[in-house]
Amino acid sequence: MRNVTFGNRDKMPPTARGTVPAATVVQPLPSASATSDEFLLNIGPQHPATHGVLRVVVTMDGEVVKDIVPHIGYVHRGLEKLFENRTYEQIIPFTDRTDYLSAIANNFAYVRGVEMLLGLEVPRKVEYMRVLMAELNRIASHLLWLAAYGLDMGAFTPFLYAFRDREEIVAMIEEASGGRLTTNYFRVGGFVHDLPKDFFARLRKFLARFGKALNELDTLLVENAIFVARTRGVGVIGKERAVSYGMTGPCLRASNAAFDVRRDMPYSIYPSLEFEIPVGRNGDTWDRSWVRIEEMRQSLAILRQAMEGFPEGEHRARAPRNIEPPAGEVYSAVEGPRGEIGFYIVSDGTRKPYRVKMRKPSFSNFSALPEILRGLKIADLVAVMGSLDLVVPEIDR
Amino acid sequence: MRAEEALAALRKRFPGVETRPVDPAPGVTVPPQSLREHLVFLRDELAFDFLVFVTALDRPSEGALELVYRLFSHETRVSVVVRVRCPRDGARVPTVSDIFRTAEWHERETAELFGIVFTDHPDPRRLLLPDDLDGYPLRKDFTHPNLIRLPEAR
Amino acid sequence: MGHFLYDLFYRTDVLLDAWRTAAHQSWAMRGWPVVILDVLFQLGWAAAAAVFLAVNALFIIWFERKLAARIQIRRGPNRVGPWGILQTLADTGKMLIKEDIIPDAADRGVFKAAPLMVLASTFLLFVVLPFGRGLVPADLNVGLLYFLAIGGLSVIGILAGGWASNNKYSLMGGMRSAAQIVSYEVPAVLTVLSIALLAGSLKLGDIVRAQPAFGYILLQPVGFLLFLTASNAEINRGPFDLPESDSELVSGFVTEYSAMRFAIFFLAEYTNLFLAGAFAATLFLGGWRGPLLPPVAWFLIKSYFVVFLLIWIRWTFPRLRVDHLMAFSWKVLLPLALANLFITAVLVKVL
Repeated sequence: MRNVTFGNRDKMPPTARGTVPAATVVQPLPSASATSDEFLLNIGPQHPATHGVLRVVVTMDGEVVKDIVPHIGYVHRGLEKLFENRTYEQIIPFTDRTDYLSAIANNFAYVRGVEMLLGLEVPRKVEYMRVLMAELNRIASHLLWLAAYGLDMGAFTPFLYAFRDREEIVAMIEEASGGRLTTNYFRVGGFVHDLPKDFFARLRKFLARFGKALNELDTLLVENAIFVARTRGVGVIGKERAVSYGMTGPCLRASNAAFDVRRDMPYSIYPSLEFEIPVGRNGDTWDRSWVRIEEMRQSLAILRQAMEGFPEGEHRARAPRNIEPPAGEVYSAVEGPRGEIGFYIVSDGTRKPYRVKMRKPSFSNFSALPEILRGLKIADLVAVMGSLDLVVPEIDR
Repeated sequence: MRAEEALAALRKRFPGVETRPVDPAPGVTVPPQSLREHLVFLRDELAFDFLVFVTALDRPSEGALELVYRLFSHETRVSVVVRVRCPRDGARVPTVSDIFRTAEWHERETAELFGIVFTDHPDPRRLLLPDDLDGYPLRKDFTHPNLIRLPEAR
Repeated sequence: MGHFLYDLFYRTDVLLDAWRTAAHQSWAMRGWPVVILDVLFQLGWAAAAAVFLAVNALFIIWFERKLAARIQIRRGPNRVGPWGILQTLADTGKMLIKEDIIPDAADRGVFKAAPLMVLASTFLLFVVLPFGRGLVPADLNVGLLYFLAIGGLSVIGILAGGWASNNKYSLMGGMRSAAQIVSYEVPAVLTVLSIALLAGSLKLGDIVRAQPAFGYILLQPVGFLLFLTASNAEINRGPFDLPESDSELVSGFVTEYSAMRFAIFFLAEYTNLFLAGAFAATLFLGGWRGPLLPPVAWFLIKSYFVVFLLIWIRWTFPRLRVDHLMAFSWKVLLPLALANLFITAVLVKVL
């Protein structure tokens, strides 16, 4: 049988034009020696289990992963450069598309940053609406993660159960904003439209039903013995390493690090809401899954509180027609479903930002993959990558 | 450690601590040679264990690139911004990827987008950009035949 | 006429015997070689089995899709034909007109033969399957042994398919599948031995007749569960479908197969599903025995009941990892099967 090494097809031509710095030196791919059982396995860019367009080259010794080199950039759209030539309002739809599963969280982080630059205060009702939308978005994103993760593990049924519930959320968001996934709902100072009249009735019905549905999903997947056997003790990352790799969100909290932007860099009305931060103990794959399920439960509690305390008021503050913040810079972070979403906006006093840097959680979470996977079996790769909950457009921007 | 202690220690160590509008996080500017030592100090003494991001700003009017490192402390919940100025041509900055593992990828991205060389970087390959792209896209003077400027917004 | 119909359904063995003897005498009188008559009879059985195989595939695939859909809160096929019954026909038609791709470097002969090897082993199992009273092509004295032996023959076809594809991942998938089947044979054999002990015979017809009204399931509850699990693993289904899963890295031995060859693997897999159910019904649920309805009906009902269980299991659980799979077979099922056998032996001797 021919010994196919995918490494040969990947020889990158050395670029030596002009003054190209050492950063583009071609690094040879890890070589597999001919005497050992080592071989290169290429996963992606198109693969059902990678949850997006990314590529991972695994050096395997038999069944064990010796090294893993991620290749990203397939979805790099140059958004940060794009933003330098767009007005502040024009940027908002782009932020949806960086991470389409947490579009609302991205909107939130960006819009909040611009408001901080302007020194604009938003009405309390807007804050409550933002929290409602953000938590609904969190539940929807976690449900999709659960569905896709179940599929990866071979459990086809949780996919449909999770999507049944997600459909309800997405329908609510669509009625409010006009979009199911990329909502473009936030504006500087508030929202485009107010919440529809039947929004709270639907939300109430959803809250009444979802607790039970969550227990069902729990039983189907996370508490299932086969799932536990495949995830417990697999893909462990310790607290110090996780923090050093810049991991945030459920991936970090699973490693016994209680860090949540909602509590540690508080924003909006979160300080006045009562909710718990689920923290895992071992930092393994099961903990990462468990943390997400518990976060969904906590989001239910937050939604109830926000709904109960919902004030009257305007859905949009009076903001200047042309957004021209004075020169300055700001870093605005929110807790997205995947971790800390941050926008570092530098303004030079014009209508377009001088620089926008997007700090995305999947970028750092993914960079820890080699550390987590070294020494594990190849069968665990799917389980671990799924548990990191990556969204590739967010990694590449 | 409490936030006040951390801030006091910060001011003691870096006399020129300033806060820029609007960001409330204190900022310090350090020369590239002492970047590593300062970051180690911040991480070990002042519990700034989390490197939020590494990026750069192109200041063509001053002929310099400004590297921005934002750190956060889980313990004290204080943020600090460390800035490094380097020339636009031939910028060389020591890597901090062994101090904060997250810097590895952040530095790769900043290097290819701005044209900064991070010395002793363990894996200085391109991260996001295609291999055949010339130039440094996020610099203000970047041009490319495919780059079309939109008409000015009214 | 009524008498004939009654005999046809309820006393098929008597009817068939009478036909056979009459035909024998008739041929013998005319001086024709009787052995050809026997061959014709067996060909008739083979034809009937082939027809059943095809019709069963149509039904069982529809059954699985509808059941899976209902478990997943959706409807399943409901456009092609009433309740989507003709969906399988449409899918088969689609597969027939697909381009047959053979990889360049594949071993052509083995590549083409592999699906047929798997189908052959499946088809051969119909020989001892008692569909009803007397409705069995050949009720071998060693029927149970035959079932176990032929059941393991599919390994050859799977290995052949994995090897002939000239694909690293197909080969790995094929080997994994082979290892899985061979590992799960052992608890299956031991469980079935307990049944043989209880019935005192290896002949499947005798086993069916020796069972009490409810079948051996009440006497061998653990055995039934063991056999169900082992069968599930042997047919590469349910939580044990790692070798052919599409979201794992190694796509399995069927990767390079397309069109009709894939359809043959597919057909073999669903027929295996039916056979697993059928043998479980025969050994544990009393086969074709039951009041009122004709034996064939009872046989089919019981078989499809076990098939229902297997489908239910498949759509509920996630997949087992390969080392869990092996560990489960050798460290859990095997000791249980041994214990089951031991206790059965002791009780048979004592009672």
